[in-house]
Amino acid sequence: MLRTDEILSTIQMLHAEHLDVRSVTLALNLEDCAAPNVDHLCKKVRQKIVARASRLVETCDRVGIKYGIPVINKRLAISPAATLLAGHGRAAAVSLARTLDEAAAECRVDFVGGFSALVQKGISAGDDVVINSLPEVLSQTRRVCASVNVASRRAGINMDAIHQIGHVILKIAAATAADRGFGCAKLVVFSNIPEDNPFMAGAFMGAGEPEATVNIGVSGPGVVCSALKRRIALGEKLTLGDLAEEIKITSFRVTRVGELIGREVARELGVAFGIVDLSLAPTPTVGDSVGEILKMLGIGRIGAPGSTAAVAMLNDAVKKGGLFASSSVGGLSGAFIPVSEDAALADAVAQGHLVLEKLEAMTSVCSVGLDMVIIPGDTPAETIAAIIADEMAIGVVNDKTTAVRIIPVPGARAGEVVDFGGLFGSSPVIDVRNAGASDAFVHFGGRIPAPLQSLKN
Amino acid sequence: MHRFEHGYVLNVMSDDHPGIVAAVTEAVESLGGNIDACSQTVLGGYFTLIMIVSFPEPVAPEKLTAQVRSAPANGGDYQVMVRRTMPASPAREASDRFVITAFGKDQPGIVRRFSQYLAGKDINIVDLYGDLRGDEFVLIGQLEVPAHWDIRMLQADLEQMGSELGFTVKLQHENVFVATNQLRLQAFGRR
Repeated sequence: MLRTDEILSTIQMLHAEHLDVRSVTLALNLEDCAAPNVDHLCKKVRQKIVARASRLVETCDRVGIKYGIPVINKRLAISPAATLLAGHGRAAAVSLARTLDEAAAECRVDFVGGFSALVQKGISAGDDVVINSLPEVLSQTRRVCASVNVASRRAGINMDAIHQIGHVILKIAAATAADRGFGCAKLVVFSNIPEDNPFMAGAFMGAGEPEATVNIGVSGPGVVCSALKRRIALGEKLTLGDLAEEIKITSFRVTRVGELIGREVARELGVAFGIVDLSLAPTPTVGDSVGEILKMLGIGRIGAPGSTAAVAMLNDAVKKGGLFASSSVGGLSGAFIPVSEDAALADAVAQGHLVLEKLEAMTSVCSVGLDMVIIPGDTPAETIAAIIADEMAIGVVNDKTTAVRIIPVPGARAGEVVDFGGLFGSSPVIDVRNAGASDAFVHFGGRIPAPLQSLKN
Repeated sequence: MHRFEHGYVLNVMSDDHPGIVAAVTEAVESLGGNIDACSQTVLGGYFTLIMIVSFPEPVAPEKLTAQVRSAPANGGDYQVMVRRTMPASPAREASDRFVITAFGKDQPGIVRRFSQYLAGKDINIVDLYGDLRGDEFVLIGQLEVPAHWDIRMLQADLEQMGSELGFTVKLQHENVFVATNQLRLQAFGRR
């Protein structure tokens, strides 16, 4: 029999602190859809997605109702599109992307991730098709999300790919100029890309995964923020250790909810349960912000000295609680700091408290990198490539996933506010200092060798 | 299952103080009985105890009642009820465990309204808690909900009733409370 105090504390978390399941992502392997004829390929892709995923939304809703916990986003992730596109051209890539877009719409999911290429050591024919088709794909589809892995601990950093992507990002921005370069918000450049990430835009199904699997992204930062607020309001003398403990306990409970929902959805869909991703993923809604957690931890202005230490503590405590709660933790599992999607971070940029370099420092101790960072439209491709290279270096040297989702807004200058609406939020354009000063470094090209794995000081 | 052949259910109510369980169990033992199961609760300074006891020979319920009633060492006053246990009732329809929680401004009739609704749906209340917290009444019930009910319909009915009374009402499967409070995931036994 459950105890009354247990029920009351869960009710507090579910209803007063608005716990939800942020994302249920059904990952599908589409490799068996490969075909020499593009129409045949697209037909097989569509049939497989609809057969596997048409019940996803209804199932998530039914399970969510049973437990009184809403599942906010239902999404699809596929095995890398590059595998399907080997031997095809850009026209086939666009056809495939349109098919994915339509199949996702038919299944009523908002995004499908996995228009991806893994090029950390070199670019294959299929990868090349994916990368070069991105301006068309991301401007002509709504739901398709892309990712490119350009670096890894074992391979080092593929600077040729990064340079190419610097140019591609500008082309995507130009192709979606009417939407202020929004196409770039659907592309993530990774180091050490996780095979089982449920979060967009970087979700895809990596090598070694089963035929189909359900991965879960748990609740957002609002729950952690409310728990800290409630604890601090009790008025007792608290240390950072006490606050870390509170985060840990909240993370434990949130993770358990995610796993409960994920396992039941997977069982009902007849697919394997994959992982729970512990990431705190903010939304532009006030109160659902990692920035506000940092403020709760005593950082008056986000970006001030102490910000990196506070993020590190938050990130670590979330993992410790989550890892004890579940033996199936995976994905990114850290605190996200996506600027436009987090009202407090966007405000810190607007106030001039948070600059690109400090943001980069903070990403060295959390997930997932320079995310939803809006930069001036005239930033040179080489500078974008160098920003990516810096972030990849953090990931490769520290043996962690890092990523860049950067949006050069055509015609926009530093300080101008750009609003993408909905979950993507709004933010001022962040100043890129020293633009144009890294060209020679990027033009060397080649690959930065894999880093040393010992003597890590 | 009883330790001995002749089973009884024994109910004791008293004002709460140390020594009640000791006195009651001594009375049962003095007649040769065994405690097969027991549960007690204290609410508002009052104690209540339910026990399943069994004896190798039949004991008149009046005799057991008198023995327990005379048990208090300090002259306390126990209200005692005894009856023979019944053979196991026929199996009920398969059910699933849910928890109802209701919060709102206290007023007469809250527990009646909700419990009458549940009774009308053949939903069994297996644990009930209610308490005043300032002006707010908190009601928590652990329920056995027959498997044939559409949970969405029950939730909609209860929420509608709640909104008429100014109450926030939720009906959720118990596993969400198990998952968030208990260490072992195996405890997810029921679904």
